[in-house]
Amino acid sequence: MRRTAVAILVLIAVVVPAALSSFERILAAQAAIAGLIVLSLVVLTGFVGQVSFCQYSFAAIGAFSVGSLVAGHHWNFWAALPVGVLAAAVVGVLVGIPALRLSGLFLAILTVAVALLFDRYVFASNTFNFFSGGITPWRPPRPTLFGLHLTGAYTFYLFVLGVFLLATLLVWNLRTAKAGRVLRAIRDSEVAASTVGLDVTAWKLAAFGLSAALAGLAGGLQAVSINSVSAASYDFQHSLQVAAIAIVWGVGAVASAGFGGAFLVYGPEVLRHTPLSNQWFPAIVGLALIVQLVFTPDGIVVDAERRFRHLVPVSEPRTAPAEQPVGVG
Amino acid sequence: MGMLEVKEASVRFGGVQALQDVSFELNRGEILGLIGPNGAGKTTLFNCISGVVEPDRGRIAFEGKELRGLPIHRRARLGLARTFQNLRLFSSLTVRENLMVPIDAFALRGMLADALRLPRARFEEHRADERARAMLHFLGLSEVADTPAGDLSVGLQRRVELGRALCLEPKLLLLDEPGAGLDARETAELAELLPRIRERFNVTMLLVDHDMALVMRVCDWIYVLDFGRIIADGRPEEVRDNPLVIRAYLGEELIA
Repeated sequence: MRRTAVAILVLIAVVVPAALSSFERILAAQAAIAGLIVLSLVVLTGFVGQVSFCQYSFAAIGAFSVGSLVAGHHWNFWAALPVGVLAAAVVGVLVGIPALRLSGLFLAILTVAVALLFDRYVFASNTFNFFSGGITPWRPPRPTLFGLHLTGAYTFYLFVLGVFLLATLLVWNLRTAKAGRVLRAIRDSEVAASTVGLDVTAWKLAAFGLSAALAGLAGGLQAVSINSVSAASYDFQHSLQVAAIAIVWGVGAVASAGFGGAFLVYGPEVLRHTPLSNQWFPAIVGLALIVQLVFTPDGIVVDAERRFRHLVPVSEPRTAPAEQPVGVG
Repeated sequence: MGMLEVKEASVRFGGVQALQDVSFELNRGEILGLIGPNGAGKTTLFNCISGVVEPDRGRIAFEGKELRGLPIHRRARLGLARTFQNLRLFSSLTVRENLMVPIDAFALRGMLADALRLPRARFEEHRADERARAMLHFLGLSEVADTPAGDLSVGLQRRVELGRALCLEPKLLLLDEPGAGLDARETAELAELLPRIRERFNVTMLLVDHDMALVMRVCDWIYVLDFGRIIADGRPEEVRDNPLVIRAYLGEELIA
């Protein structure tokens, strides 16, 4: 049931853009990249319950690394991308350290501060020039994969979709195995988690690092997707919007990454073709957030999963070796 | 030498002296009881041993190793497990998953092995699952294995917490009011279960409870705390007849 649904959605994601215009294929790639950012929030907020309003700052680290190394220093994209992902992960862990002592509102404020710090200082024009060595923005070209030039809009889209699906699969595997269980346990009770032997600090930092790495990956892909790196694409506004969208779809479900990414990119596009302009998109996201918080507090996808759960056959629990049990009280 | 040695431990919370020069020893294989009226410092003492609270003074040694300064999870890995007076289950996890978490904490596989579904990860997952199910069977919880722990009654939740602590394969189990919120039948089952757990898992226990009947029935030796001090200790029947203990309990009754 779940597999069928995923297969159908992936098929739609592969086939539909083939029928679209070149511009819309570019948007499709953007949607997959935005999906990675939503996925990074699924890891951080959905798994450990940590809020973040600075995911695009992490993405910027990936984008700026790729932009600087590929366009500025003529590195190969495949060498530059891991550097960007790693750098984002390191910064993510650093942000995670003060976050260890904070939760809820105070953590939210910390991440806002990080985002604004990046906006004001790291991406400020003089810092930008220092990295790029000039005033022209970086224009990293599209990479090649196994000798195949990823310059065509549809080819590049398929590549980005592949990366997105792979990342989603890895996160899904984590969620359904030990890491997901441990992180949810920490979210439920940190004290109890540490009394059963979990190093809560290490796990939380790992979640921050993984989340930031996913955002950094998105940034690195974004840099070559639009052949340009500009600070305005990674500011606090973007982080705020993607957090709202992730919450609307439901940070508790991995599938929200796909829906959220598509919504983030196609939402404004659809609005463009209505009497409303895409200027209204943030207002609609805000409205959706209010409606969702009232009616499906866990988010659309999580709610839908719950509604359709009874359609999924549950495997029979195996029985343990026979032994005298104690009566159930 | 005792398995657990607490020497002159003192804790102060603002103006309240929660523990004052508390010393006691716990020997391997014992079930030691700790009783005392509300606010006597029982939970604070537990928190000092498990690492939730650091004592201001004194030393706490487990198998000869000083515990002060060790983070909670390190103490757990030395073989110290505990339950909580006000239940702290992983309420969104199923009962079975609750029991798998302590097994996970010891598993060597990392996130990478899980993300890539390496054979080792699957093997360990399977083993953790088997162990959790065996423990659920022992505790009579098989029927609720896949129920979210937060949906269970208090009695069952207490038993899940006990199972979760046992999955750590502890040497010493700290039970903080395991009888709180249980009805008479559940309490009787608990009193029958604890010695069985000691036999089967070869675990030493330190038990705190209000329920005198439970403590009297289960424990080999009892310490009595009042206003942060140990006022008496001895075998259950000795403690029961001790005038100091009677006064401490009656005094509480009169105030209440």
